[in-house]
Amino acid sequence: CSISMNIHEIRDGFGTIKKVIQARDPIRTASILHPHSLHNFQILDSCCLARSILRFYLDKVFRHCETGSLYINRKISGIANSFLSIEKKFRVCQDENMCNCGEEAINKYHQIIRNYEQMDVTLAAMKALGELDILLNWLEAY
Amino acid sequence: PSPRNVHFVSRNLKNVLHWLPPEGIPEDKLIYSVKYLVYGTTRWIQDAECRNISQTWCDLSRGTSDHKELYHARVKAFLNGSCSSWTESPRFNPLTDTKIDPPAFALSSAEKSISVIVAAPKTWSRNSRNEPNYLHEIYPILQYNVSVYNTKKKTQEAVTILLGYILPVLLTVLIILVSCCCVYRYIHITKQKYPTNLVRVLYYPCSIDKCERGNLLPSEK
Repeated sequence: CSISMNIHEIRDGFGTIKKVIQARDPIRTASILHPHSLHNFQILDSCCLARSILRFYLDKVFRHCETGSLYINRKISGIANSFLSIEKKFRVCQDENMCNCGEEAINKYHQIIRNYEQMDVTLAAMKALGELDILLNWLEAY
Repeated sequence: PSPRNVHFVSRNLKNVLHWLPPEGIPEDKLIYSVKYLVYGTTRWIQDAECRNISQTWCDLSRGTSDHKELYHARVKAFLNGSCSSWTESPRFNPLTDTKIDPPAFALSSAEKSISVIVAAPKTWSRNSRNEPNYLHEIYPILQYNVSVYNTKKKTQEAVTILLGYILPVLLTVLIILVSCCCVYRYIHITKQKYPTNLVRVLYYPCSIDKCERGNLLPSEK
């Protein structure tokens, strides 16, 4: 299931708001995506995990990231639109049985959800948004 | 007061922490201590080479060498036994926050070809004796742009622009100026003389002003 993703465009958009978003995340000692475990993830299940994480951002993260700045909100919705178009491509793969979910992908995804739900919703959403470069690094290697 | 503007400066994955001294305190008496944290873990790590130092930077490349992780660092200042609070850096992502030097390259030309041998810049490595890592081992999609500058073509382009654009424009402007000048001289400067073969014909009866306006007709001669 090979998918073309405009990672560079998303990274540029995120790069302009990264410092502001990450500055709003005071918790250094907890992570939602945990970069190391994401990078060491089994290649086989990557498609399923990628689609699940994109779905997680669309359903739980972007909608709780409203800020007082129109500029930042516009950048966030631009990133959300890019995620939406990528997620649709993954859905096509899944419909054609090329993106099956193994146990490891499911466990990893549940771990991410648990990390997220341990925090206050807005704080967790802002932290997840601040960890976008972790996800982009991983998707780039996908 | 605490150290200010704590931030990473990274080049080819050599990650150096920089900061500014606290305001209003003589720098020469200050001592600093640095710690760093792998983002998402709970332990702040003391870097042995960055303890009780007087300079306002410290190389944390060794501690931040796992480029898949993200990091925070913090600095504290000591003066005469008392110490400031910690000042933290923004989150540091080695993969995206490092500046990559231009690649080294060598040129060799054959009769009808030029070959360009490109070598990615070397990254920081734990010790110089080790075989260094190259950036293309870290960045799977490291791409190079090779462009060729043809000096000969450049002069041809200059000649074309000169003859094709500049000269015609100058000529056109010159012609317009000359013709405007001639028209102006004809209208305003040269004295208008009546042609010699015309005589004034007066119509009767005429009052004083009508006579002056009589018509000029060519004489029969």
